[in-house]
Amino acid sequence: MSYEKWIKLGLEKGLEDLQIFATRNRSLKLTIYQGRIDQHVESDVESVTLRGIYGGKITSIKFENTNTDAIETMIDRLISNAKALTANEPAIIFEGSESYPEVKVESFDFTRVPIADKIQLAKDYEAGLLGQKFVKQVQSTTYQETENETTLINSKGLKLHRSNSFAYAYAIGVFEKDDDIKTAYDIKLVKDYSDFNLADMIQTTLEKGWAKLGGSSISSAQLPVVFSNEKFGELLATFTTIFSGESAYRNLSPLKDKVNEAIAIEGLSIIDDPLHPDAYFQIPFDDEGVATAPMNLVDKGVFKGFMHDLKTASIFKEAPNGHSFSGRISTTNMYVQPSNVGFDELIQPIENGIYITELAGLHAGVKAVSGDFSLQAGGFKIENGNVTTPVKMIVLSGNFFKLLNGITGIGSDLKFGLNNVGSPSVFVSSLSIGGDDSKAS
Amino acid sequence: MIDKLVLERLIQEGVSEGADFCEIFLEDTHSNVLRVTGQEVTDTSSSNVYGAGVRLIQGNDEVYGYTNHVDEASLEQIVHNLKVSFDGPKMDAKPLGDSQPYDPQVKIPMASKTTTEKAEKLLPLTKIMADHDSRIVQSIASLMDMKQVIKVANSDGVYQEDERHYARVIMMAVAKDDTSMQQAYEGPGRSMGFEIFDELDVKTLAKETATSAITLLSAEDIESQVMPVILHNGFGGVIFHEACGHPLEATAIAKGLSPFVGKVGEKIGSDVVTAYDDGTVDNAWGRLSYDDEGRPTQNNLLIENGVLKGYLVDFRRGRMMGAKPTGSGRRQSYKFSPTSRMNSTFIAPGKDKVEAIIKDTKYGLFAKKMGGGSVQPATGEFNFAVQEGYMIEDGKLTRPVRGATLIGHGKDILFKIDRVADNLEFGQGMCGSISGSIPVDVGQPTIRVQSMTVGGAGGQK
Repeated sequence: MSYEKWIKLGLEKGLEDLQIFATRNRSLKLTIYQGRIDQHVESDVESVTLRGIYGGKITSIKFENTNTDAIETMIDRLISNAKALTANEPAIIFEGSESYPEVKVESFDFTRVPIADKIQLAKDYEAGLLGQKFVKQVQSTTYQETENETTLINSKGLKLHRSNSFAYAYAIGVFEKDDDIKTAYDIKLVKDYSDFNLADMIQTTLEKGWAKLGGSSISSAQLPVVFSNEKFGELLATFTTIFSGESAYRNLSPLKDKVNEAIAIEGLSIIDDPLHPDAYFQIPFDDEGVATAPMNLVDKGVFKGFMHDLKTASIFKEAPNGHSFSGRISTTNMYVQPSNVGFDELIQPIENGIYITELAGLHAGVKAVSGDFSLQAGGFKIENGNVTTPVKMIVLSGNFFKLLNGITGIGSDLKFGLNNVGSPSVFVSSLSIGGDDSKAS
Repeated sequence: MIDKLVLERLIQEGVSEGADFCEIFLEDTHSNVLRVTGQEVTDTSSSNVYGAGVRLIQGNDEVYGYTNHVDEASLEQIVHNLKVSFDGPKMDAKPLGDSQPYDPQVKIPMASKTTTEKAEKLLPLTKIMADHDSRIVQSIASLMDMKQVIKVANSDGVYQEDERHYARVIMMAVAKDDTSMQQAYEGPGRSMGFEIFDELDVKTLAKETATSAITLLSAEDIESQVMPVILHNGFGGVIFHEACGHPLEATAIAKGLSPFVGKVGEKIGSDVVTAYDDGTVDNAWGRLSYDDEGRPTQNNLLIENGVLKGYLVDFRRGRMMGAKPTGSGRRQSYKFSPTSRMNSTFIAPGKDKVEAIIKDTKYGLFAKKMGGGSVQPATGEFNFAVQEGYMIEDGKLTRPVRGATLIGHGKDILFKIDRVADNLEFGQGMCGSISGSIPVDVGQPTIRVQSMTVGGAGGQK
């Protein structure tokens, strides 16, 4: 049954407006372990999110059973769910933006590459690591390709379509030196199969692993801290909800009532750019059909405003800015604006500090509401302006909102992570390091 | 779903060209999230996960395919796509047996209640939180309910249906004063229906959640140090889950990627530590009648008086290790091939009293409520966050502290447990691993760890 017919059915059942957001995801995943295929997974899944207004209330239902009789049941459940809502909040199905940004169509057909080649790529990746210095074994080597198609159609006449395809590969190396075991990997994501460069991938993984070996804890102290670009991006990603209009409306963001106030040092700008050329994905419209556009969240230290979906934009009496994804408000490609200060120059003034290259427990050790974070960390000492010996098993603690005012320097090495958050290296004047004296070198 | 005879034919097809094992997993899961914010119903969303996963194994090698198109032709196509990975003689699949009775553990199915009836159970909870203190600026109560219907059939003749009902009430309170904003939450879950509201004292928990958020306002950041830590019962068991549970899963053991490889029969902890992973605890969040490979769940002894007794084993990794499966094969949905996972994991109760343990601790941290954590099984390094903690000074709880994270090594921590109380309780969480996110219980009585690295932002000038 076509989506148009579903819309007709929904309207017949009494919905005032409705939208169908349908995705089709096809993927192939291969993992290699000790020269053999450990996992080989093929999938093809369609998923539909129906969003509808009944009695002036909007709600949604997501389902995978797209048989005709199931659709009726889903529409009925949507109506009963809408009836239970009591909050009087804007309920909007969107008629469409005036125009949509053009994005490069990424449609490389990974299925054209013979599967044997992909298996060989993963096998060669593993083999390239095994036998190298300190490599005890390779936990797993993964190749994955994904093809996504998204269709949005609604009763206001809007019809949008987007698609993308990509593949990535990584190998988790297990490194051992003097009873010290570390794992390391580096994910390489490509839009064209020929962009896999195995020699580089092996070298990067080895360097990451070797760098971690041989570290020790340090005594607890307050120290200057430099976050690697990847790790500052990961930390920032855990705080994206503070920029959400929904969080502000629900009294869950400390930035509520702080629009146009300074919240960070003047040198800090945080931008959300759905079209940034260095990011992994460029996104022309959000899940409600709103055109996306670059947005300054923090401009020279000043908080400029919240990300919105249709509902919160209406509540805040602002124009929607295209940030509704998977049923909540989120960033597209958020990043910290880099400077032109190179890494060596950035750390040059530090006599005694820590360079953070590992963070663990980000889902648990961060409180977005208070800004407090306390995380297992690892990295290197910085001594007299140089990165020196590895440090492991420390706890890095602080408050994100204080940190924003304690930034001493920002590097030039902007890098986007697979979480779609980008950052250069960031130097923070002082954070708390928890360690174990007895295990310090 | 698909007819038994059709499954039997497809399974036979699966083992016709070299695969020596074929399994088909069918799923139809419906879940609902209902949220009350303040005194308004603000979210009522539903979702349905529906599809089939096909798994073929030859020796230790596995291929897996899945789709939401649950019809004979689509599944046949998957079987054909997968079986070309193998080459070898045709095997005869065993005829499918009869599905054994299962216990859905539900008295009042959620489907028998309207969304409005459910909301009426949540509205008093947010009111209790909001009325607790004028500094509570937001109170949210959510109900997550899920009914998962599965069927699993394989070439060993297993044919098993199962129906799982989950209910979880999540409460969050946000407190704010001039200097900070703090959040606290509780999220009890059970394998139950609507009766969860009768069987759990959710109103008391709502009160405690609000109290916890208010306490955090006046708490100081803890100062980083190495010290004794008393981990309170219930969700405190997350320490064992992360530090030892994951490294005891065959997922890690079969590859030799765990500090506990080859240690069965050896001492891996102090004498006071006995631990189990039990899939059979009535109404537990982590309970299953049958695992996702169609095996009955069981109570697995992991550690007895400090000696390692066994691992958690799924079918395929059991083959690799030459070990018997322990009813621990689990997966989030048909989109994942199963692997060895925990159900309700806990440190068994001892004879000590909480009060005595605190009294005998001159200085340390009392971690009353834990947040989540993570572990890297290959290295055994784990971390977890303390949601609500108090300093212990001269055997007494003194000031509240916040922002503590505890880190350590799985192979050391069990030796450092020196006191175990008699007050076993479970806490509920979602556990993530290679076969997805699944409901599990973590549990323990109150325990003391002689020394741990505690990190926090306190002591800053």
